[in-house]
Amino acid sequence: MSFGAPYLTLPSFKYVKPKTLREVLEFLAEHGEDAKIMAGGVAVIDFLKERLTEADYIVDIKGIEELGGIKYEENKGLTMGSTITLYSLRESRIIREKYSALHEALKTLDPILIHRATIGGNICEAFPWMDTVPPLLVFDAELNIISLKGKRKVKLKDFIKGTAEIDLNPDEILESIFVPEPPVNSKSKYVKVLAKSEFGVVNIACLVSNPVDPSKRIVKLAYGAASPTPTLVPQVEEIFRREAPLNKLIEEATSVVLETVSPMTDIHASEEYRRYLIDVLTRKILFELLTAD
Amino acid sequence: MAHRYIGKRLPQLDSFHKVTGIATFTHDLELPGMLYAKLVTSIYPHAKVSKVDASEALKVPGVVTIATGRDFPYRLGIYVGDRDVLAMDKVNWVGHPVAAVVAETLEAAEKAVDLVEVEYEPLEPVFDPLKALEPDAPLIHPKLGEYRRAPAFTPVPGTNIANRFVLKRGNVEKGFEESNVVIEKEFKLPFVSHAYLETQSTIAQYKMDGTVEVWTSAQSPFAVRYLMALSLGIPVGNITVNVPFVGGGFGGKAGLAWEPLTALLSKKAGYRPVKLELSRKEQFTSGAVRDGVYAKVKAGAKKDGRLMALKGRLIFDAGGYGDYTVNVSRAAGYSFGEVYDLPNVYCESLAVYTNKVPTTAMRGFGHPEAVWAVERTVEMVSSELGVDPLEIRLKNVVKPGVSVTVTGEKLRKDAGNPSDCLDAVAKAINWGGPVRKPGEPWRYIGKGISVFCKGPAQPPNAASSAIIKLNEDGTVDLMVGTGNFGQGTVTSLTQIVAEELGIPVEKVKFKFIRGTDSMAYTWQTVGSRGLYTDGNAVLEALEDVKKQIKEVASQVLRVKPEDLEIRDEKVYLKGRPWESIPLSELVMGYTYPNGNSIGGPIIGRGKYISPLNTYLDPETGQGIPTIFYTYGATGCIVEVDALTGKVRVLKAVQAFDLGKAINPLMVECQIDGGFIMGMSVALFEEITFDERGWVQNPNFSAYWVAHARDIPDEMMEISIENPQSDGPYGARGIGEVVMLGVPPAIANAVYHAIGVNINNMPMHPENIWKEIKKQKPELLEELKRKLMEIRELKVER
Amino acid sequence: MARNITLIVNGVKREVEIEDNELLLDVLREKLKVKSVKAACWRGECGACTILLNGEPVKSCIVLAAEADGSEITTVEGLIKDGELSPIQRAFIENGALQCGFCTPAFTLFCHYILSTRPDITEEELREELSGIICRCGTYKQIIRAVMQAKKHYKK
Repeated sequence: MSFGAPYLTLPSFKYVKPKTLREVLEFLAEHGEDAKIMAGGVAVIDFLKERLTEADYIVDIKGIEELGGIKYEENKGLTMGSTITLYSLRESRIIREKYSALHEALKTLDPILIHRATIGGNICEAFPWMDTVPPLLVFDAELNIISLKGKRKVKLKDFIKGTAEIDLNPDEILESIFVPEPPVNSKSKYVKVLAKSEFGVVNIACLVSNPVDPSKRIVKLAYGAASPTPTLVPQVEEIFRREAPLNKLIEEATSVVLETVSPMTDIHASEEYRRYLIDVLTRKILFELLTAD
Repeated sequence: MAHRYIGKRLPQLDSFHKVTGIATFTHDLELPGMLYAKLVTSIYPHAKVSKVDASEALKVPGVVTIATGRDFPYRLGIYVGDRDVLAMDKVNWVGHPVAAVVAETLEAAEKAVDLVEVEYEPLEPVFDPLKALEPDAPLIHPKLGEYRRAPAFTPVPGTNIANRFVLKRGNVEKGFEESNVVIEKEFKLPFVSHAYLETQSTIAQYKMDGTVEVWTSAQSPFAVRYLMALSLGIPVGNITVNVPFVGGGFGGKAGLAWEPLTALLSKKAGYRPVKLELSRKEQFTSGAVRDGVYAKVKAGAKKDGRLMALKGRLIFDAGGYGDYTVNVSRAAGYSFGEVYDLPNVYCESLAVYTNKVPTTAMRGFGHPEAVWAVERTVEMVSSELGVDPLEIRLKNVVKPGVSVTVTGEKLRKDAGNPSDCLDAVAKAINWGGPVRKPGEPWRYIGKGISVFCKGPAQPPNAASSAIIKLNEDGTVDLMVGTGNFGQGTVTSLTQIVAEELGIPVEKVKFKFIRGTDSMAYTWQTVGSRGLYTDGNAVLEALEDVKKQIKEVASQVLRVKPEDLEIRDEKVYLKGRPWESIPLSELVMGYTYPNGNSIGGPIIGRGKYISPLNTYLDPETGQGIPTIFYTYGATGCIVEVDALTGKVRVLKAVQAFDLGKAINPLMVECQIDGGFIMGMSVALFEEITFDERGWVQNPNFSAYWVAHARDIPDEMMEISIENPQSDGPYGARGIGEVVMLGVPPAIANAVYHAIGVNINNMPMHPENIWKEIKKQKPELLEELKRKLMEIRELKVER
Repeated sequence: MARNITLIVNGVKREVEIEDNELLLDVLREKLKVKSVKAACWRGECGACTILLNGEPVKSCIVLAAEADGSEITTVEGLIKDGELSPIQRAFIENGALQCGFCTPAFTLFCHYILSTRPDITEEELREELSGIICRCGTYKQIIRAVMQAKKHYKK
C-alpha cells in the first residue's frame, strides 16, 4: 500500500457501448451489479483512477436518443435527458429565462468540463456540492427512472439518500429529469460561496413567486455543500404563506433552515462558518427575491 | 545610443515552438527501451521500516526490478545532506518513498506498487515546529551531526533544528526603549505548492561504461550534475544532464531532485533508461513543497514614524527534510527588514524538522515569508501611530548611497531606489484619494501598499560562464547554461548578443536543450540571478569575440583594432563606412585572394563571479550577502465582502527598480505573473494535513490556484530604471521580487477597507470572517442589521 | 480487452489498437505520439490535456480512448494551415501570452475554439470561459489580450 493511491492508469474493465436504450437495460438487468454507468465520465473515470470504485463493465450511455435532448412544453415544464451535457443546459435560453437559479449554478462550473459532464451524472454522483441539485430541488424536479421492469418516478429530494448514495437499483438508469413550469411571476437565484477550492462551501438556491401576496406567495430554499446531502427546506414554504411582516418571516425561516440543514465540518470549511453563511446568506437571498420588483 | 534590441518588446524566441506544440518537455520524452518507475510511499508520518517484501510485486508481468532504501545507501542534498534516496530505515513523513518499482509499462508498475508489503513500527510523530523545538520532542534526524553540509550552515545535532541563523545589528532593546510605540505580533504562513504544471519528471540511463545520461525537468543542469556526482561518488564528467523545455519551476526545480534515484534504478534494471514522472498527488505528498512559517515580530518607532528597532523570530517548518530550506530560512534571516534603514535589528531564524512533506526553495526564497511579517508589522505600527502607511515607508526605506543595510553594507549610489517605486505605485492607485463606492453596504473598498527588496541568495562564489561560437555563415551559437522555464532570460541574453554584435536576433541561435555538455557552466538558474550573472558572462564573451574579429579585420584593413566597429553583420572602419568586411568572411578565418589565410574560427569566452560577496559573520549575520538588490513596491485596491469574507483584488500595480528592462514584454509577464501567483498564495493556497499527517488536498480541486476568473480587473506594471553600473545595460533581476509584496499589500488593503488585521495566510473567506469576528464582532452585527433593513438591492454579477 | 479504433487526428485517419481501460490522453500521447497534449493533474482539473473531440473541447485525461472511436480530434497542431500559423497562434506570440509553455497548446486550442464559436465574446465573458485551464505562470492577462486582438480574424 502506498499513500494516496496516486495512479495514472486505470484498472482493467470491459467497455460496453449499447446502441439502444433496450440494450442498455438488458445489459444492466444481467450485469448491473458489476457495471458502472458512464455518460460524461467525469466522475467515473476519476474514481476508477483513484481506485475508489471498481467495475467489470463500464457502460457508456452517451448518444442514446431516449436519454438525450431537452424539451420544453409551455405551461407544463422542461424535460432534460439524463445524458444532456451541462454545457447544453448552460446555453439553453429556456433555462436562462425560466430557471435562472439553474442557469446561474451552471455558470459557476468549469467551462470545459461541462462539455462532457451531464445532468444525470451531476445528480447521480450525489456529492454534497453538486451544483445543479439545489436549483433542481427548488424547481421540484422529478426523475424518470427506467429498467426492464418498467418506469418509475421519484422526486429528486427523495432520490438522494446520502453522500454518494442514491435511490437507484443496479438494473435501473436515470432516463430524464423533469422540472415543472415555475410558478407564475417567479424569480430564482443561486448563491455559491467559494473559499479555497473548486467546490462551494455553501450553495443556496432560492425561488420566490408573488412576494407581496401571502396567500399566493411561494418561497423555496435548498442548500448544497453545507451538509452531507443537499437539502430542501420545505417548512419555509409554509412560513411564507403566513401573513406577517417580511422581516419576521425571514427571521423565522432562517432559524428553521439552520435547524434543518445541520452544517458539517470538512476540509473546505468549518461547521461554524457554514452555519454563519447560511444565516446571513439566507436572509440576503430572501430579501433580494422578496423585495425585487 | 539608440538600441536595436535592448529595451524592445520581443516575444520569447521559443514562442513558435510553444504555440505549435513542438516544444518538447521531459514529460514528452521517450528513449528506446525505456522503463517506467513508480514509488511506494509511506503511510506513516514517522516510523521504522522493519521489512519490505516485494516478492508478490515482482510476480506482476512486466516488472523488471524493485529497489528499497538499503539498495542505495547514499545521502543527498545541496546545503545539508539530510535526504535519502529511498527511506533507509526510517520514514519521516506520509509520502516518504520507501521503495520503487521498475516495469516495462507504467500500468504494470502501478499494479506492482499495490503488492509491495511494507512493515512499519510507528514512532511518535511531531507536526508542529514549535513542539519539535521542545527538548523531549521526537528526533527526526538522529544522525544530523554526521550529514555533509555547506560552510554557511549550522544544524544543531541532537535537536530538530536544521539550521539556526542570527542577524544582529545595533541594540534592539535600546531601540525599543527609545521608541514611543512598541508592538509585537505573531504571523503564520502555511505550506504551499509550487504547482508548476509539469510535474517533476526525469529519465536517466546509467550506462555500462560508468557514464550517466539524464534528461530532467530541472532549473539548473550543472547543479543537478555536480550534486549527483558528489552524492553518488561519480566523476562529474561522467554525467551528462540535459534539460529540455521545463513546464515551470518557481524554485521548486532548483538543486537536485529525483535524478539520483532514477539513475540508480536504471543501473539496477540492467542499464536500461528509466523514467520517473510524479503524479500530481505525488507532487504534493512526496515531492518537496514550500515551507510553512511561524513568526513573531516586535517593532518600535518614534511618534513621527521613524523605526527604531525591529526584532523577529522566524520558525521555518522544514518538514521531513530541509536540505534547501536551511538556506531559505537563512535568507529570510539576513533579509529581515532589509528594505528599511534600521538602527537596531535582531532576527533569529530557524529551520525545524517536522513529520510533514519536505520543503524546498520557492520563488522569493524566504523573503515572501519575512516580508509578510515585516510589512504587516509596519502597517500596524503606522495605524498605532496614526502615520500614513505610505509616509512611514517613505520615511524609513533605505536611501541609495546613504543607508547601511541590516547586514551592515553601505548601500552604493547605484543600488536602486525603493522610494521611486513607492511614489510610482502610490500615484497609480491614487493613494489617499477617494475609493469607488461599492454596490452593497457590506462591501468595502480599501487600498494597500507594501515595499520590499530581494537579491540573489547564492553562495558568494557562485559563478557563471558563457561561450559564444561564430558559425560559418555568421550565425552565432550562444552557449550559456541558463535555465529556460518560462522567465525568458535566454531570450534577453540573445537580445544582448544581437545588440552587441550588430546582427539580427534571428541569427543568434537559441538552443532548447540546456545541457551540461553543450552549454557553458553556470551555478544555477535561481534567485533572479540569471540575467545579471550570466548576462555579465555573456557580455565578457562578446568582448572577447569582438576583440578577435577586430584583430583579424585590422590586419585585413591595415588599421588599428580600435578604429573598427561591428554592425549590420559587417566590420566597418570608423568614419569611412564604405570600407567594410562582411562578418561571414572573418568568422572562420580571413582568406586573401591568393589563398593565404589568417585568424581562424572565433570562439568567445566570458565569465562572472561576484568579487564583493562575503560569508556572513556566524554571530551577527553581518557581511555582504548578495550581488544586488531589486527594490519594489506593490499597491492594490481590493473589495472585501464583509458578509462572506471574500476578498477580490480590483486593481494591482507593481513598480520595480530593475535598472533596465532589457525586454519590457518579458518584464510585463513577470510582474503580472508574479502578482497573480502572489495573490493566489495570499487568498487561496494552503496545503492542509489531518491529524495523521496526511495531506488533505493533494489536487487542483481542493488546492485552488488562481484561474483567469480570479485575476484583478486591472493590472499595471511599472519599470523604474536607475541603472546598476555593473549590471548588463544596468539591469537587475526581477523573477522573484514580483511576488514578494503582494500578500501584505492585499492584507494592508483589507485593513484599510474594514479595519481588521490579517496576520495569517491564506486570506480565504473563512479566515477573514474569523478575524472580523475576533477583532470587530460589532461589524458583523451591524451588517446583519443592514441586511434586514435593505429593501431594494441591485443584483450584481 | 484489446480492440482497434479509428481516430481522425487533425484530419488524418489513424487506426490504433487500444485496451478498454486506456485513456484517450495516453493513446494520443504514447501511441499516436501527439505530444502537444499534456498531462499535469490527470483528473480533469488543470486542462493541459484539452483537445477538441468532434469540435467540442474536452479534457482528454478523463476520456476513454474506446469512447472516441470514429471521432475527429483536433489538437494545436491542427490549427496550422498550409504551414501558416492561425491568427490565435500569432496573437499568442505577439502578446507574450505564454511563459513556460506547458499550458500553451491547450490554451491556444481552446481560445481558437472560443473565437470560432463565439467571435463576439466580451472580455468579461472570456475570463469566465478561460477558467477551465490553469496557467501557473499567470499569463492570463496576456492570453485575454491575445484573444481580443485575434477576434477580428474570426468574425463571420
